Amino acid sequence: MQGSVCRVASDMEDRLSERTVRDRQTYTSCVLPEIEVLLRVASSMTDQRSDAEDLVQDTLLRAWRSIDTFDGRHPRAWLLTILRNAQVNRHRRRRPQLLDDPDLAADRGVGDAQDSAEDVVVGRTFDVVIDAALSALPTTFRQVVLLVDVDGLTYAEAAEVLGVPEGTVMSRLHRARKRIRDRLAAADLAPRRRRP
Amino acid sequence: MIDELPWWRAMVGTKDMASCRQVGRLLQSYLDGEVDDLTARRVARHLDLCRRCGLEASTYAEVKKALARRGTPVPGDAHERLLRFAEQLMDTPPGQSAENESV
Repeated sequence: MQGSVCRVASDMEDRLSERTVRDRQTYTSCVLPEIEVLLRVASSMTDQRSDAEDLVQDTLLRAWRSIDTFDGRHPRAWLLTILRNAQVNRHRRRRPQLLDDPDLAADRGVGDAQDSAEDVVVGRTFDVVIDAALSALPTTFRQVVLLVDVDGLTYAEAAEVLGVPEGTVMSRLHRARKRIRDRLAAADLAPRRRRP
Repeated sequence: MIDELPWWRAMVGTKDMASCRQVGRLLQSYLDGEVDDLTARRVARHLDLCRRCGLEASTYAEVKKALARRGTPVPGDAHERLLRFAEQLMDTPPGQSAENESV
């Protein structure tokens, strides 16, 4: 009797250690190579470098805790979802309610730096105008531009991070780039808009 | 030969080539590589022929390039710290790693 209990316990131990080995392998091959991308994305989602590092750390911890539920497919998408949830929790702790639809606010130009003709005229080089235009974008627009154009995410990956549909990513991104393009045109660095 | 087509054919579009209006709608997704192969070919054919849309495409391509240049390299020390953190996590079974939250 005692022998069979020991055998069961020993089998369980073997299974547990097998699982741990498998979890480690999955984590090593799927999660560790994505740390750099996570750090880039977190930098685009937060204002401070230390916040970005904390957010990635939180993501890595959550990923390890739920590694046994991960099916091994699309690790980046899985990690970006975890990162987004971690970010939402952090944000919620700091700011309990979001009262406004961010896209509507963006269209009204609420809460962000406004275009200023002087800003555009001051630096007439392409990159300077791009920087100024980027800073003048509403946060929701700027985040999408940073995720796709600077961090190199696809629309689907950016949608995962932001927790919005892909169509919303596309719409924000295209509108944001049009604004950048219009500022370039205002600084005579791009052709004027051709047709309405 | 696409170069022999009159300019108005590009504006209106053909079965194999998007119209100016379609390109206006698809251009950014095309430059982002987010359209299917057939659409990409139709847009590319149009851009070969239509100077105005070609200019628009060049402008957006330059904007994308300038934005990509803004990407700063990930700080090596932060990457190292996170890598070490992740490796340490693996010393603890996943279920018990909640205790490491403050790490």
